Amino acid sequence: MPAHPNPNQDELAELALKRVVASGAEYGDVRLLDSTTQTIRGEDRRIASIQDMQDRGFGIRVLYHGAWGFAASSVLSLEEAPRVAELAIEIAKGSASLVIEKVKLADEPVHRDRIVTARRIDPFAVALDKKTALLLETMEYVHRQAGIVRSSASLWARRDRKLFVSTEGSRLEFDLLAVNGDFDATAVHDGRFASRSFNTPHLRMGYELIEDANFLAEAPRIASQAVEKVKAPTTEPGLYDLVLDPEHLSLTMHESCGHPSELDRALGYEANYAGTSFLTTEQRGTFRYGSPHVNLVADNREPETLAATGYDDDGVACQQWDIVRDGIFVGYCTNREVALKIGETRSRGSNRADSWGSVPIVRIANIGLEPGAATLDELLADVKRGIYIEGHGSYSIDQRRYNFQFGGDAFWLIENGKRTYMVRDVIYHGITPEFWGSCDGVADRSHRRRYGFITCGKGQPGQSGWMTHAASHARFRNVNVIEGRSGS
Amino acid sequence: MSTTGHKTWPKLTSRDEFQFIAEQVLKRSTGDHTLVALHDQHSGTTRFANNQIVQNVDTRRGSLRVTVAFGRRHGTAGTTDFTAGAVQETVTRATQIAHLSPDDPEYLPPVEPQPYLTLPTTRAETAAAGPARRLEYTNEAIGQCRMENLCAAGIVSSSIATVGVAASTGLFAHEERTDARFSLTVQAGEATGWGAAAHRSIDHLRVQERTLTAIDKAKRGLEVREMPPGRYTVILEPAAVAGLWSSLLWTLDAKSYEKGTSAFSGKLGQPIVDKRLTLRNLPAHEDLLGIGFTADGLPTMASDWIVEGVLKQLAYDRFTAKVRGIDQIPTLDAPCLSGSGASLPGLQELIKSTERAILVTNFWYIRTVNPTDLTLTGMTRDGTFLVENGAIVSAVKNFRFHESPLRAFNRIEAFTNQAEAITSETGKFLVPAMTLRDFNFSSVTRF
Repeated sequence: MPAHPNPNQDELAELALKRVVASGAEYGDVRLLDSTTQTIRGEDRRIASIQDMQDRGFGIRVLYHGAWGFAASSVLSLEEAPRVAELAIEIAKGSASLVIEKVKLADEPVHRDRIVTARRIDPFAVALDKKTALLLETMEYVHRQAGIVRSSASLWARRDRKLFVSTEGSRLEFDLLAVNGDFDATAVHDGRFASRSFNTPHLRMGYELIEDANFLAEAPRIASQAVEKVKAPTTEPGLYDLVLDPEHLSLTMHESCGHPSELDRALGYEANYAGTSFLTTEQRGTFRYGSPHVNLVADNREPETLAATGYDDDGVACQQWDIVRDGIFVGYCTNREVALKIGETRSRGSNRADSWGSVPIVRIANIGLEPGAATLDELLADVKRGIYIEGHGSYSIDQRRYNFQFGGDAFWLIENGKRTYMVRDVIYHGITPEFWGSCDGVADRSHRRRYGFITCGKGQPGQSGWMTHAASHARFRNVNVIEGRSGS
Repeated sequence: MSTTGHKTWPKLTSRDEFQFIAEQVLKRSTGDHTLVALHDQHSGTTRFANNQIVQNVDTRRGSLRVTVAFGRRHGTAGTTDFTAGAVQETVTRATQIAHLSPDDPEYLPPVEPQPYLTLPTTRAETAAAGPARRLEYTNEAIGQCRMENLCAAGIVSSSIATVGVAASTGLFAHEERTDARFSLTVQAGEATGWGAAAHRSIDHLRVQERTLTAIDKAKRGLEVREMPPGRYTVILEPAAVAGLWSSLLWTLDAKSYEKGTSAFSGKLGQPIVDKRLTLRNLPAHEDLLGIGFTADGLPTMASDWIVEGVLKQLAYDRFTAKVRGIDQIPTLDAPCLSGSGASLPGLQELIKSTERAILVTNFWYIRTVNPTDLTLTGMTRDGTFLVENGAIVSAVKNFRFHESPLRAFNRIEAFTNQAEAITSETGKFLVPAMTLRDFNFSSVTRF
């Protein structure tokens, strides 16, 4: 068996950075990451798998003559560090041979800090049998409802211990946690099937998130609504007013506001995969993205949210800024490389990698919809014929983020200001600025909820981005609801 | 830099080394059953946009995964650290999890030793390729675009992995797998054109040919017209066909079928698509990315999934297969869709034979809208054109589709011989290009 003693992480980082500095590179950084992920997955009243995965390694990023190189390895040894550093330098030199516009980095103060996620209960210290018992009992509760044929339930926890060291002198240590739990119920009726889900948000906190979620109290409701959903009537296609709950809105915001506000997309970096953006740079400050009710704020400083890690993987401090103010598009998510390209002097601190083996790229920040002044009842009261939507369902959007189509997890018809009975197969379609332009009310702060994403796909090789989107309920007028099946 | 045999590439875990690691794991485990899986990969990607490199990465990641079972209680632990102490600690963690796990009524011990086909999963030229080879192809694609005053964005990637699985039953499998990929989006102002390839051999990416195709599409998109939503005859290029079939194949799992939560429930043995279509798994085909064995250590095999339009097979997990008395579980790692009867040689002949249709290069963001009837939605992307009287007459603004492949592939007008197809959202297929009538485009976007 190959012997690779784990060296002191500072010694390894120093060894690597020395090589980078000696090469004449203008910038370099080293990220060492030790991740532990525990996933417990239940399916149909059994625990299908329990996995405890450790993922350790380091990545070295080099900027040489205005071009990037990156190399990474899971072999944590003092022999491997200089090999990987030399490889990153050599790759950067290759990139430099095709440079047209040299990469420059926006200035950032040198930071030396340690970030630790606050937690009441360490999720890795909670007894495994307590967790499996919770999932089994939850699924039992779900199956007590007549008509339920399938169930699933899972718990997930991740701990990231990271060291970031740069040639500029920054040294940042992280000890970060994230936790999530969910379950769902699937019912069949008359040759159809339908599912209803319950999710805690992914948040940076301890196991208290799961304990406070009270799965057992929620399970009968979820199961009952799955049965109601599968038996519910379909909706007639047409124009409806929509009242969207915070969980549903988190996905709508993510796809139609979050991604187009990534500056690397607007500049063409993602043209071959995730796509570009209709929010082109000349429109910043003037383009009407939505109605005056729409204020979308990026806040990577809000405690417990996924992107609130203190600093990003450029070593830039987390910040708060406006994306859309009074309906006008005003700001992008940026990193140290792209910020300068639109005349900004500092990065917004949104450069993140999903592992030690990935290079950081611009990611969506914790973008949230600012609360308004209404109550949910007031939003509903002014709807003659509409649909109230909860949770996530089908979602698809074009590569410039104009044309989208969303479903949901549960739908209720609104008639004469009241939420009435469930309907099924609701799909709504829109063009992003028209849709947000139809927003005429947002509920107050007491309705605000947060939902986290850990599977936001972007980049080649593909990476998963983490961020949280918060919102209160919001109302949209005259949205095009289409038939949720393809016809004959 | 040399273009082959990059000097700093590390050595991956060999068969003998994996055998040694597996022996250590099995010796140290106290479980009734133990399974150890290896995935050790060295990969690199050169990514470019705006005609220059924006990322250039090289990663070596080795991982071990150990599953220990006592009776029907099982636990899994993994590590990227191959030192003796870390491997021991991984076995201990898996053991502790197994002890604390409840009985899993669907647990099955690891499979017995299996016979495996020796497949062409590795190619020396890809294994030897490094950053310089990727740079060479990148330069070629960017250079072609610069000459046309167009803008290139894309990737060139190559990787080699050693993959293994061993178990206390005596099961042992190990193989090398190489993979090379190229994809390119050419931008001509608002217009885009696209091409992509994936192959075991980096020599087989046909970078120049695919670059010229993407350039041609982008240039044809300079003048674009808007067509109204509605039902159209469509010509789907192989990548677009693969996108729809990928969504279909994902939903063939047998457990959902048995529980009545599958779009295919009750349709095994029934016609589901046009009777001229047959879907086979061909792991030995050199243009597909077949593998020798699955993560469970089961051998892959050539198998029939849809024969003359009739659904013949489902994707079985081991437990459902056992309940159903299925001894050999067919795999779907190398899908090949073919048409019987009169086919045209290629896409150009299909276009020439068409009176009026929308030509679709690729689909994007395909998602299920209704799992009961497998209604899907998605957008056309990077080359959507109006064909009239056998020729492309203009580009058209991109459409959103709202359609079930179970309906669409019963409306086939014509098809070509099979061609290689890969997209950023699918695995690799061999599929024909096809003309389908009455394909439902439900809306149009602004470009």
